[in-house]
Amino acid sequence: MTPASPSSSRRCDGIRRRDFLHVGLLTNLGLSVSDLLRWQVRAMASEPARKTAHATSCILIWLDGGPSHLDTFDLKPDAPAEIRSPFTTIPTGIAGIHLCEHLPRTAKVMREVALIRSLTHELGNHDTGARFLLTGHRPTPAFEHPSLGSLIAHGAGPGGTMPPYVAIPGDNVGGQSTAARAGYLPGAFSAFNVGKDPGRVRDLDLPEGVSFDRSERRRDLLHKLDAFARTVEDAPPTRNRDAFYQQAYRLLSSPEARGAFDLSQESAKTRARYGSSRVGAGCLLARRLVEAGSRFVTVVDTGWDTHQQIARELPDSRFPGSGKLPSLDHAYAALLTDLRERGLLDSTLVVLLGEFGRTPKLNALGGRDHWPRAGFACLAGGGVQGGRVIGATNALGELPIERPVSPPDLAFTILKLLGVDPTRELTGPGGRPLRILNEGTFISELL
Amino acid sequence: MKNLENRKAGRLAPSRFSCFPGFLLQSAWLSLLTLFLHVHLRAERLDFPTRILPALTKAGCNTGACHGAATGQGGFKLSLLGYDPELDHLALTRELRARRIDWENPAESLLLKKATREIEHEGGRRFSRDSAAAALLERWVVAGAPYGPKELRVVGIKVEPTEILAASLEETIALRVTAELSDGAREDVTSLVLYSSNDDAVADVTQRGVVQVRGFGSTGIMVRYAGQVAATLVDSPFAGPQNRAAFAAFAPQNFIDKLVLARLERLRVPPSPLADDATWLRRASLDLAGRLPTPEEIQTFLDQPESAEKRPHVIDRLLGSEEFTDLWTLRFADLLLLSGRRGSEAGTTVYHHWLRDQVARNRPWNEIVRALVTAEGRSAEVGPANFLSLANDPRELAEHVGTMFLGTQIGCARCHAHPSDRWTQGDYHQFAAYFAQVTRDDGTVRDGTRGEVEHPKTARAVIPKPLGSAAVRTDRLRSRRAELADWLVAPDNSLFAKSLVNRVWKYLLGRGLVEPVDDLRLTNPASHPALLDALAAHFVARGFDVRDLVRTLTQSRTYQLASQTVPGNKQDDRFHSHALLKPPAAQVLLDMIAQATGVRESFTGQTEPTRAVQLIGVQTPSHALDVLGRCSRERSCETASISGGGLAQALHLMNGSTINRRLNQGLLAGIQEKKLPDEATVQTLYLHTLSRLPTPAEASEWKSLVAASPKRTEALEDLLWALLNSREFFFNH
Repeated sequence: MTPASPSSSRRCDGIRRRDFLHVGLLTNLGLSVSDLLRWQVRAMASEPARKTAHATSCILIWLDGGPSHLDTFDLKPDAPAEIRSPFTTIPTGIAGIHLCEHLPRTAKVMREVALIRSLTHELGNHDTGARFLLTGHRPTPAFEHPSLGSLIAHGAGPGGTMPPYVAIPGDNVGGQSTAARAGYLPGAFSAFNVGKDPGRVRDLDLPEGVSFDRSERRRDLLHKLDAFARTVEDAPPTRNRDAFYQQAYRLLSSPEARGAFDLSQESAKTRARYGSSRVGAGCLLARRLVEAGSRFVTVVDTGWDTHQQIARELPDSRFPGSGKLPSLDHAYAALLTDLRERGLLDSTLVVLLGEFGRTPKLNALGGRDHWPRAGFACLAGGGVQGGRVIGATNALGELPIERPVSPPDLAFTILKLLGVDPTRELTGPGGRPLRILNEGTFISELL
Repeated sequence: MKNLENRKAGRLAPSRFSCFPGFLLQSAWLSLLTLFLHVHLRAERLDFPTRILPALTKAGCNTGACHGAATGQGGFKLSLLGYDPELDHLALTRELRARRIDWENPAESLLLKKATREIEHEGGRRFSRDSAAAALLERWVVAGAPYGPKELRVVGIKVEPTEILAASLEETIALRVTAELSDGAREDVTSLVLYSSNDDAVADVTQRGVVQVRGFGSTGIMVRYAGQVAATLVDSPFAGPQNRAAFAAFAPQNFIDKLVLARLERLRVPPSPLADDATWLRRASLDLAGRLPTPEEIQTFLDQPESAEKRPHVIDRLLGSEEFTDLWTLRFADLLLLSGRRGSEAGTTVYHHWLRDQVARNRPWNEIVRALVTAEGRSAEVGPANFLSLANDPRELAEHVGTMFLGTQIGCARCHAHPSDRWTQGDYHQFAAYFAQVTRDDGTVRDGTRGEVEHPKTARAVIPKPLGSAAVRTDRLRSRRAELADWLVAPDNSLFAKSLVNRVWKYLLGRGLVEPVDDLRLTNPASHPALLDALAAHFVARGFDVRDLVRTLTQSRTYQLASQTVPGNKQDDRFHSHALLKPPAAQVLLDMIAQATGVRESFTGQTEPTRAVQLIGVQTPSHALDVLGRCSRERSCETASISGGGLAQALHLMNGSTINRRLNQGLLAGIQEKKLPDEATVQTLYLHTLSRLPTPAEASEWKSLVAASPKRTEALEDLLWALLNSREFFFNH
């Protein structure tokens, strides 16, 4: 805690904004002095945080719509029929952990996974729930909080070849909410949205008929044109825009970085391992991106808002082996295995979650409705000890009876594992000092 | 009572004192002592809400990060910044069986031992044992930790001086703050209030109320005390070269210029000269009509002789154009969040047409807003009724009304008194109560007879009351919303006019006089306070006429200044010494690219040729508009977090189809067909994209480039690509 009086708390680190007014090196980065200040502050303050950090990057698989805990990772086979999942359970090789029968591959990798069965909050709308989970703040109408991805990108600082925060296909989650966006941080920390087909990321390829040489010529032309600068002088908005162009050029001029977005460079065998689904391709792309240096990659898997026919919808009854659960099972297990084999799992935190769980009672249509009081999250890699369960819900899956975990707890933990101190203050709208998180504690059982 | 009698006796007959037996004499002394103490304590005023609580606030005990958090800290919760004195008094004196106060040994009170960190305190040491604060709290406990008169409160604070003109950097100025209490008393509270600077790079302020000037510019210093706020404005003149010629050249065209010039002179920021004709024409066409000027318009304009009517004439033509209506419909639709996710398709269409019709007819802003707030009927048929579909919760609707029409953020006051504005929880919920009885059954907006908003503390229904007004609803025959509209759009509701003129100022000048534009409050002073007042007064006097406002703004010299800086004004980003760069809205940028290249954009579901600014709602699929960042109208885009686009936008403009597929059609195809010579070709490209003629240096550079290129078509495509990707094309400058 660093209280002090409200007006001086912004400077409790001893840095004053005017000390940075002389720093001129950032003109090319499109950053204001206050951005710089934030980095300086962060860099100084997060030394201790960095020591406890385990991961350098994070892959978040976001199950958009709210995945049913009772039909995936927290089945209640002994509950009455109106609650019990239509699916049976299978063992995992870890004593005491049973999963849904449609997650057989995941069951085999549970030794890598810490399963939180006591995620709980009270916001049952898609947008509010998503914002709570992805920012660690209850949504307020006053302003937007930055998402975890933007906070990690902010912590990474500018200048890398790879975009620090990437969203596959984009940062729309929770029904077009702003949950995964940059909030009050500068736009430079928003996600690079790769577009709807992870197998073909748009606008990364030069236009048809434009060779690399020609694109270089165009770039020179553009430089020359801007350098005439008869009319438009250097100013903060031009710097912001130039920063994106430079980021784009860095990306385009690095075949490795650009290649990271190209799934066709993967063998057919690897692609098959992840499955042919969107989420499979997304997870494979995410692995390529963190391998190449991205810090936070969100893979959004839509369609988990299962208000009806869970038995027929989650595994697609018309095509055995397909559907939401089998696709996720393929993708998730392949991702963890692949990262482990490449020696990347210890430095990559993989998080699997959605905005809330679903009602214990099956509704008249054989589906379940929104239920934020109980849900699950899976954490793997990044120093997390797998093969364990944290927390538990009651016999009917209604609410946690053991070790409740709140969205701020989860956000706090993810940030901490990635080396960002959640108690730091950032400069919010109108210059007001805002702590990254106001509440939440580290889930120490993960380590 | 006995003491009192003794006192009376003593006063009536002092000479008899000596005759009194000893014990009586002692008693009289004691009573005198009590009297003395009583008077002394009264003079010191140990009242909790006006004296003790401010001391705790000042020590930082009740900030959001400490005990003021919604859940408190360490089991001890205070109201945020002390907005609820009664609750705080209870927490201090009654909770935990009153163990925070030690009645036997006041100095041993937990309250003091924690705050001075004589025992473990996570919040650290707030003040030392020998501080004035510790002594004050101890005296308060000794006196029995009184609350004081129940109704006593601070009704206003005043800070002096009200404005400061700094003579030099590092200058220090002592503030003086006086509080007026509800019992009429005035107190010097300079040492008790909380101070903060809006921009401590310009000036910061100590907690003793001493302002220290740090840099150039202007900032508000905010003062808070017992739920009241006040501010003083510090101007710190720039220390650039004295550019008398620049000031002398600035000939005011109207009241705007006089007030802008006054600020520039005070802050010693020289104004830039006028923008040249081509730049000005491009700027006005984009700002008023959302399009580039055509090459013919440019040529005609450039060829016209100079006259006082030359630019005003163009303004009038643009104001009367269909494109003006299209663009300003888009702007107001974004402001009103017209058809975000919640709107039905039919509703969106009638709402859009209704709004466009209001803009086309130049219906006064007060009438438009009244129609929105009081609308009734089927959403699928009555356009403005869709405004009420923004939210079902009356509180949420009230917040929208606050930000959209009053430029004020009342949201904080939902849960606690606004920390930097005057709104209390009561203000908030009473304001929301105006919408408590709106029903939307079967897609029809009506006023029902049931539904109330409850105050969260008392759980009782509150009576509707305008924000910041003492009067409550009286006329039970008028609908709640009609009564709200009466107050909202009244000429004397200064926030209503200020909020719109501030937004229009931002559309045209690139930065609001108050930023953010939805945060007008005493403690967030305008860059030009007198100008904001004058513009609002002008707007009211002209009957809330938006076109008149746009005309007044664009005819000022301020609007016509060049964006290029002169020595001494480069640092200025808010006093309008030079034009600010404005990134165009996504729709406008897409239209600009289509117009420049002569290749239309076609949209799904549109049979007629449609420009992007004309699209109804925001649901029309368009990868280009998504990537260019169209406002999704889910929430306000006025403080959009991405400025200058994003990585995806840069990649799209460089590599994507929006520009690349247009390079070899339309404009260039025509040039090829006409076999224009190189010089004329370069000139045509410049006129279509940058809306000006190339300079001699540019013309010769590109001419020789094209001539030297073995592939002429390719060279021209590349030049056009570079023009469309240039800063100069992208920004309205």
